[in-house]
Amino acid sequence: MEAMHDVLVVGAGLAGMRAAIEAHDRGANVGVISKLHPTRSHSGAAEGGINAALGNAAEDSPEKHAFDTVKGSDYLGDQDAIEIFTREAPGDIYQLERWGAVFSRNDEGRLDQRPFGAAGSPRTVYAADITGHVLIQVLYEQLQKRMAEGMTVYEEFFAFRLVVEDGRCTGVISWDLLNGGVKLHTGKAVILATGGAGRIYRVTTNAYACTGDGMAMALRAGVPLKDMEFMQFHPTTMYPSGILITEGCRGEGGYLLNKEGERFMQRYAPNALELASRDVVSRSETTEIEAGRGIDGNVHLDLRHLGPEKILTKLPGSRELAMTYAGVDPIYAPIPVRPGAHYHMGGIETDSQGLSEVEGLYAAGECACVSVHGANRLGGNSLMETITFGRRSGQAAAEYALSVPGGNGSGEAARADAERWVKSILDNTEGERPWAIRDELGESMLENFGVFRRAEKMEAQIGIIEGLRERYDRGVVVEDKGNVFNSDLTQAIELGYLLDLASCMLQAGSVRTESRGAHSRPYDFPDRDDENFLKHSITRWVGDGPELSYREVRMTQWEPMERKY
Amino acid sequence: MQVGLKIWRYDAKTGDRALKEYEISAPEEATLLDCLDIVKDQHDGSLAYRKSCRMMICGSCGMRMDGGAVLACRTRMYDIAQAGHVPVISAMGNLPIVKDLVVDMEPFWHKMRSVDPYLQPRYDQAQERENVVQQKSMDVIHKESLCINCGCCVSECNSMESDPDFLGPAALAKGMRFVGDPRDGATIERLEKYSEAHGLWDCTRCYFCTERCPKGVDPRDAIAKLGAEAMKNGIDRDMGARHAKWFVTSAKTTGWLRETELVPKTQGIVASIKEIKFAMSLARKGKVPPPFPPHVAADVGESRALFDLVKAQGRDGALGIVQGEKALGRIEAHHEAAGGRDPYNEPDSAPRPFLPSEREGSEEAVSS
Repeated sequence: MEAMHDVLVVGAGLAGMRAAIEAHDRGANVGVISKLHPTRSHSGAAEGGINAALGNAAEDSPEKHAFDTVKGSDYLGDQDAIEIFTREAPGDIYQLERWGAVFSRNDEGRLDQRPFGAAGSPRTVYAADITGHVLIQVLYEQLQKRMAEGMTVYEEFFAFRLVVEDGRCTGVISWDLLNGGVKLHTGKAVILATGGAGRIYRVTTNAYACTGDGMAMALRAGVPLKDMEFMQFHPTTMYPSGILITEGCRGEGGYLLNKEGERFMQRYAPNALELASRDVVSRSETTEIEAGRGIDGNVHLDLRHLGPEKILTKLPGSRELAMTYAGVDPIYAPIPVRPGAHYHMGGIETDSQGLSEVEGLYAAGECACVSVHGANRLGGNSLMETITFGRRSGQAAAEYALSVPGGNGSGEAARADAERWVKSILDNTEGERPWAIRDELGESMLENFGVFRRAEKMEAQIGIIEGLRERYDRGVVVEDKGNVFNSDLTQAIELGYLLDLASCMLQAGSVRTESRGAHSRPYDFPDRDDENFLKHSITRWVGDGPELSYREVRMTQWEPMERKY
Repeated sequence: MQVGLKIWRYDAKTGDRALKEYEISAPEEATLLDCLDIVKDQHDGSLAYRKSCRMMICGSCGMRMDGGAVLACRTRMYDIAQAGHVPVISAMGNLPIVKDLVVDMEPFWHKMRSVDPYLQPRYDQAQERENVVQQKSMDVIHKESLCINCGCCVSECNSMESDPDFLGPAALAKGMRFVGDPRDGATIERLEKYSEAHGLWDCTRCYFCTERCPKGVDPRDAIAKLGAEAMKNGIDRDMGARHAKWFVTSAKTTGWLRETELVPKTQGIVASIKEIKFAMSLARKGKVPPPFPPHVAADVGESRALFDLVKAQGRDGALGIVQGEKALGRIEAHHEAAGGRDPYNEPDSAPRPFLPSEREGSEEAVSS
């Protein structure tokens, strides 16, 4: 065994670091395991901002924030969790500022707030359009402070299995990227904060690292996932790379245009226009493109009227991205954009403390499903979720770890088993390289489980995933047999995660015979069906595949209403 | 397009290095990172490099192309491939190579940690809301806060090449991020610490860090700001600081650089005595003007007036460092001043935006 800790945190993006800081501050001995150096985590790529009802730009309240979130979720969000979320968000923002976050300021020197999609008030706190970057830096700064006080960070350790002994999660097994070898870390509590799985799709805003590791590890350890069919497609991802252009561009006044120059959103969301919720905007764009009013499969994000001054001060990062990757300077020309896979509303089912069904196992951030986002997340709510629920899970895990009797588990049996498994992968020399399977998965998911979903395409996709799974299980060839920085091995393991999660998404999606939030079936079930589907899908891995059940949505004060923007 | 790459491979086990050439076909929009992915997928799975976001923000993929540090994801290959050039790709400099293009970043992070890289609050932490700070005073650290820790600056740092213990551009820029933050209360302690041996005065001002930074952080500017802040706060014991101070004094008094006195003023009398032999031989060759009487420029009044003006403007410290030529820089530099182009009236301009309701006779436009 490499090390024993009270609390192990897997993943060091915003949720993981926030959880680690909280657990440490509450007296737990914390170990953080991450396959990337913490500041390389994809939270850092978040651009537009973080939502909290501070009321600095206009009158606002946590109740309004909660209502917008409930409505945005298409009523699938758990309202008790949402109320906790919006109530605690302002305090968490103030703390980030006092830790040193370099947020943008208003004329009074307070935190500025910009309008964002489907928000009734300008409540998105931001740092130009590099908000995630600023936050990941400030949390890593705080982490470094605590590293000097005894916290340990295991950088570039690729976690791939959970240790569950006697119904309790007691450790994590990882592959040491720099030195090689299967490593075991034990903890009395484990917090998963591994982020999303956008790499299931070919066109995604997500980093290469976003392969759903935590969700898949939990799934295979018998932990249920929730609402996996709900993958958010962000309306403005750049052609051809899928790189994100922030919703802040529209928050600052940007237009979406079809090829005629028409601000088509007026026909779909007459009041909110470009600032309707993301699911609505992505559907509208797809409708325009499919009707032949797109531009080479895209629509235009037009910032020209904002002028150089605003673009250079509020949106410099977006300009840099557009110039580098689309060859377009948004001061002079519109940016070609289209919907791309962005954020998984679904994830490991947790309560509002981040606790999963398994004792000692917690989850926070995108890999978790509390659920505050329901069927569609509002822009700016994900960064806030990482902080508020990262903190809450860190607190709960520390309190549990410090109170649970007995020492750490052994985990040796699980480690030996994992070692045999990794050896079998490395020893295999027959079969295909993983990349063709990865590319076919990404392409077919985009085609068959994208913005609009059709029964026959989903059926076809289930078959495609089964075929890819067979090829993968026959054995893929890892060419790198060495111990040092063997990313060929870790990428092959990640592909298995993507396949697991894709099959969960398809199963849950194909039987949800309604349209709700990001799950849209305009051809056969165009309406929301609250009678039959105002409920969370729950996926467990049983035997060789996913098994589906349902759970009620927790409601407090908001009855489902028609959703218009 | 066809892309050729020569990649310095490094076998961690044997310590062998070898330059291997690869020829791949890639889409026209491919970046260097995309090309490395194609090599790894389809040609040699054992190629090692770091990557993650592929959008210039995670800082993973710093490496060298033709001897200079780049972010692989930021480097478009089209022009290079069209020119028929086959670039040489190697690991970053000044950091130990682990395998192929992967370096050990621990020395980098160690130096980062050594500047106490976290806010030491000046204000009462028990307050309920945020600190009230004007945007203008936060702008001082705008560039420093853009750093993504990729290591490109450190890779190219000449001073670090001769002194591996030099704190270096990334750590010092991080230091400036706190020194310039009005919310930080440890300014003096920081400046003292950063002024120690291997600290800010060891920068040789080669500007390679600024040249190679992919985010416009301009670490050399940050180091200049730290130096200015140190002087402002009377932290000027280091030879580098004394050297700079003498420049100011001699410009103010004579309008010239009083070179003869530069060495004793910088190194002190004792150290200077050791240099007498060298000084004499310089003098014999006519390289040393006689120190007395000091040569005074004819229009020294202008020089003194300039000094007084800058003083009156209160531009000592970081604010006195000219910032931003490249700032956000590097990008703003490409922006033509207003009055040039009209984004709506160029030959291939996208159409001017309009709302469906503005269309003539379009009732159905608004209804659905």
